[in-house]
Amino acid sequence: MFRGALAGFLRSRYNLAVAPVSQTVRVKVLFFGRLKDVVGHSQESLNLADAVTIEQLFAVYAARTPELAQYRSSVVASRNQEFAAWDTVLYPGDEVAFLPPVSGG
Amino acid sequence: MAPPFHHEDIFQLVREPIDLRALIEHVRAPGDGAIVTFDGFVRNQSHNRATLYLDYEAYESMALVKMREIAAQLHEKYGIHRVAIVHRLGHLEIGETSVFIAVSAPHRAAAFDACRFAIDTLKRTVPIWKKEYFEDGAVWADGELPPAPLATPRAKPAS
Repeated sequence: MFRGALAGFLRSRYNLAVAPVSQTVRVKVLFFGRLKDVVGHSQESLNLADAVTIEQLFAVYAARTPELAQYRSSVVASRNQEFAAWDTVLYPGDEVAFLPPVSGG
Repeated sequence: MAPPFHHEDIFQLVREPIDLRALIEHVRAPGDGAIVTFDGFVRNQSHNRATLYLDYEAYESMALVKMREIAAQLHEKYGIHRVAIVHRLGHLEIGETSVFIAVSAPHRAAAFDACRFAIDTLKRTVPIWKKEYFEDGAVWADGELPPAPLATPRAKPAS
């Protein structure tokens, strides 16, 4: 709150842009199975400029790796080890995983 | 009040051969009258193609959470005594056990029903994946898409 007010003051008074740190969201993103093969890695930490949903996070990766988009309908997502809806908003420190159909057993 | 014996249950992801005998002994107690086990092992073919070997991977932290949830359901729904659920990861040869479940209960009906529920639910909800290797290549096995919530009215922050 205070930081936001300060940023507003600096911007209006001195034309200084101050990044709103409170809106930076660092999340850990995991891929498994064939999704890992498609994106080329199994995990990374990502700084998001603003609060995003799991759907928007998937879109970030689909923009990087267009082939990923075709798997969207056969992927479920999890947030902090629980299955999560695609409209779930992410918080700093969240661990998100994109999971293809499971085949254990 | 916590249901009895839950702390005696076993959930494991291992990279060595599973000791079936030890798990059966673990769930066995004087108050029980039945143990039902499920031994899932590597088949030598898939869709009429000869399998060379399999490789399993898991989202380990979440898989353990889901296995624990299955055990809790077994106690709640079937009144079992104990359960052991162990899944192996990594490279598995034909004939090797990939998953083993042992359920003990006072009577056989609960043990049979609970064991069936456990393997069916594991195959549908536990984040584990199997890659099948053949003479001419490898494929990720077809699987089941776990049921997930369709929409959240309000997401909660991480605790």
